[in-house]
Amino acid sequence: MQSSIRARLAATAATVALIFAGLGSSVVPVAAADPLQLKTGTDQDLQVLNPFSSILVVDFEVFTLNYDLLVNFGPDIEPVPGFADKWEVSSDGLTWTFHIRDGMKWSDGTPATSADAAYTYQLILDATARSDASADGYYLGAGYLEGYLTNAGVTAVSAPDASTLVVTTEFANTLLLQAYVPILPKHVWEKYTLDEIGSIDGSTPFLNEPTVVGTGPYQAVEWEPGNFIRFARNPYYWGTQGAADEVVIQTFQSMDTAVQALKSGEIDYVRGIQPDQFKALQSDPDIQVVEGISNGYSEIAFNTYSRGPIEGGGASTKALQDPAFRDALAWAIDQEKLVEVTLGGFGEPGDTIVPPFHTRWHASPTNPRRFDIAEAIKRLDAAGYKLDANGKRLDKEGKPITLRVTWPDSEAENATNAQFIKGWWEQLGVGVDAYVTEEGKLLDDLLPPEAGGLANFDIELWGWVGDPDPTSLLNVLRGEEIGSFSDSFYDNPRYDELFLLQRAEADEQKRFEYIKEMQNLAYDEAPYIVMYYDAELHAYRKDRFGGWTNQPTEGGTPLFGYGSGGYTRLTDLSAAPAPTDQPSASAGPTAAPGDGTPSDTSNATPLIVGGVVLVAIIAGGLVLMRRRAAPPTEEE
Amino acid sequence: MGGTFLARKVGQAAITIVAIIVINFALFRLMPGSPERVLLRGTPNVTAERLEALRERWGLNDPISPIDFADGGPTFHADNQLFKYVGATLSGDLGYSFIARGQTVVDVLGQRIWPTLLLFGLGELVAIALGLALGAYSGWRRGGPIDYVGNGVSLILYSTPYFLLGMAFLLIFATTLNWFPTYGMLTAGRVYGSPIDYFLDLGAHLILPLATVSLGLVGQYAIVMRSSIIETLSEDYVNTARAMGLTEGRILRRHALPNALLPTVTLIAINLGYVIAGAITVEVVFNWPGLGTLTVQALTARDYPVLQGVFLLLSVAVVLANLVADLVYGLLDPRVRT
Repeated sequence: MQSSIRARLAATAATVALIFAGLGSSVVPVAAADPLQLKTGTDQDLQVLNPFSSILVVDFEVFTLNYDLLVNFGPDIEPVPGFADKWEVSSDGLTWTFHIRDGMKWSDGTPATSADAAYTYQLILDATARSDASADGYYLGAGYLEGYLTNAGVTAVSAPDASTLVVTTEFANTLLLQAYVPILPKHVWEKYTLDEIGSIDGSTPFLNEPTVVGTGPYQAVEWEPGNFIRFARNPYYWGTQGAADEVVIQTFQSMDTAVQALKSGEIDYVRGIQPDQFKALQSDPDIQVVEGISNGYSEIAFNTYSRGPIEGGGASTKALQDPAFRDALAWAIDQEKLVEVTLGGFGEPGDTIVPPFHTRWHASPTNPRRFDIAEAIKRLDAAGYKLDANGKRLDKEGKPITLRVTWPDSEAENATNAQFIKGWWEQLGVGVDAYVTEEGKLLDDLLPPEAGGLANFDIELWGWVGDPDPTSLLNVLRGEEIGSFSDSFYDNPRYDELFLLQRAEADEQKRFEYIKEMQNLAYDEAPYIVMYYDAELHAYRKDRFGGWTNQPTEGGTPLFGYGSGGYTRLTDLSAAPAPTDQPSASAGPTAAPGDGTPSDTSNATPLIVGGVVLVAIIAGGLVLMRRRAAPPTEEE
Repeated sequence: MGGTFLARKVGQAAITIVAIIVINFALFRLMPGSPERVLLRGTPNVTAERLEALRERWGLNDPISPIDFADGGPTFHADNQLFKYVGATLSGDLGYSFIARGQTVVDVLGQRIWPTLLLFGLGELVAIALGLALGAYSGWRRGGPIDYVGNGVSLILYSTPYFLLGMAFLLIFATTLNWFPTYGMLTAGRVYGSPIDYFLDLGAHLILPLATVSLGLVGQYAIVMRSSIIETLSEDYVNTARAMGLTEGRILRRHALPNALLPTVTLIAINLGYVIAGAITVEVVFNWPGLGTLTVQALTARDYPVLQGVFLLLSVAVVLANLVADLVYGLLDPRVRT
């Protein structure tokens, strides 16, 4: 009996030894000094390295570190030299000539030329051509990048010589300078077909795994999915090298842990913190909190599908197709309350579909609404929605209106919004049935017949995030997007016409007039009620790196913006003595050479103490067992 | 007789595992939403044609159940998802992750199981050593100061959730005292000059989560061991031993302890099965790259094949741990061998 207990202990010990051995075998020791790392934390989990499959903010952040855009984005999101260092447009505005940077090389040492840029753009043009030729359409990967060229009206691309790229467009515009398309190395990518590159489920042999070859400042060299991605300096980078030798983007399952890691100095930057964490960090002298204005919004989207009844699906009442009905409901939404309660005050009440982030394009509504239940009731009555004897609002078919309000389970804060909406609309006699829907199922429910679905919903609460240009945010309400990006099925010919007009307008003032009219149309007819523009809450340490600059300068954030400038502008505060305007910047607790992280040998004492305690505990237990198992020497 | 006992227990475990595989299959077919949506990662950009191709490639067009009653009578489908799933699972093929592009579920689980086994294997060892010693001593010196304090501490630890304990350690030892790192298992991109460096880095990351796991378990073991010792000490054979003039220490070690260990053996074996399940909260707090964080990631990303794999691993671990408990118990106590 005793021997079996001993055997069990021995077996357990052997298992532990095996585990250590298993862990040890995965280590590749390389002798070198520890590089200076910039570590950022995010709640998002990077899932792809192929830029065409990018959807999440972190996906985009990763590809802008790896690659250059043809034209990059500067500190104020203005066009600055990227893969091309100069460009000019013909007098008719239809032919763009880009000069590709001389002597530029890919991170593997291969020359980077106009052929690479032409290859990348042609890939997208090929996909678009295939989409046009097929009744069903075609998308390259997630389908988020094609729009940058189609909206700019690109028809052809050519590389007459190694340093010249010529792009022709169907109409004059400036969108080409804001194309968020990374220029890819032809010599790496041309080995794969369009289908392999554009696969949507990852069943392709080509995943663009590390080491990634690009012209960006940092190249992905190690990726542990679900954990972190590590970038090393691109030795051939054409621009000013950033102070960090390496960049690590770490995924955190709990933002509480990320915030603690920021406070302890293990990470330098964190994106996506909560309002209470933000407030708690404000008092930390080594940490700068940043409340960035959001390039996006959260909305109440109505199912306005009006192309005939949908068998077994569709909205529960035709009232949702009526702009007057939606407008009346919008009078009973208190945006300021939602900002205060749902966002903890970190955000702006919403009005139009172009957020104030777009300072040049945002227009406040010409006929603004305010929160006024009485006005909402008046407007419902005027529009012909009468109350029945039980105080229930009837639609024009004489049926009491009860609206299904749902939101994806990934957006938990919408549960709060839904409760407020329910409270306000019930004062109008409009019933609300609020419930959460699993995100995958909701995406299915949102599909209209054009995409093989039933559009089986009334109202959904969700949000959009925009680009440097408002085009993509304006695009989602186009009639042409029904069956694709449109989730409200808004179908207004004037809106669609304005979209094309603004897209083809090179004169900024005229373009603004079109965009303003679009914002007003969408505001007045309310296929969306914009609830708020939620703030981006970030925080970073001030004691390790300097040179943090917000993008845009007014109201932006240093990282997770547009392009890699936020990384290359950083300076190393530990290398040089603290500048005079930065008193006590180096007075932090970890001013040791090599910028010791807590795991450095300088901090080994508690570790050794911990190890000794651990060994003592296990040894003590073993001794107890062994003594009991001592051979019997006395009479039993 | 021992042979049939073994065969019966192993047979029961095998049947349970097959049942688990079938339930595991059914469970995920009952989930709302469609798997092809997950494969698309929420992009609205998809055409009906590509959706169809996707369904075909991932075998989603096959009938789910082998038998259906759609056209009145029962129809049998040889090409059904259930048989394929059970067959593949038994042969060790758990399919491909929806999210970790191009990786099999076995690969994904394989990468994440070692950190969890390390953390919880070691945590169990520490908790067993500490808990049994504490429990035995407090039971033996019942009413003494050690019992008083030990029992109180045990109860507090037993009732403290892992995440609370972990967060407290994090705040005190990582953020405030800066003794240990706050997250992860190894420093990302760290270059190790020697294996010692590697183990120091691993050890530094391991201490806090390990302390959380061990202390979370220790109270339970101590409490069970204590009551078991107290019960045993009042048995007739202990009185006999006393009457024979044996020393108190000898009575405890030779007579009371071996018998008192029986209930704890069951508890420990069953706990081993829940090791992975318990991993979730501790791993999330310390961002430990094990099965716990994987489960949360797979849940939020709706990576059904990986979730299915985790569920299978969890339930099989519990079944096997129970089997081990049964067998060890049979070994320790001949009365249960019938």
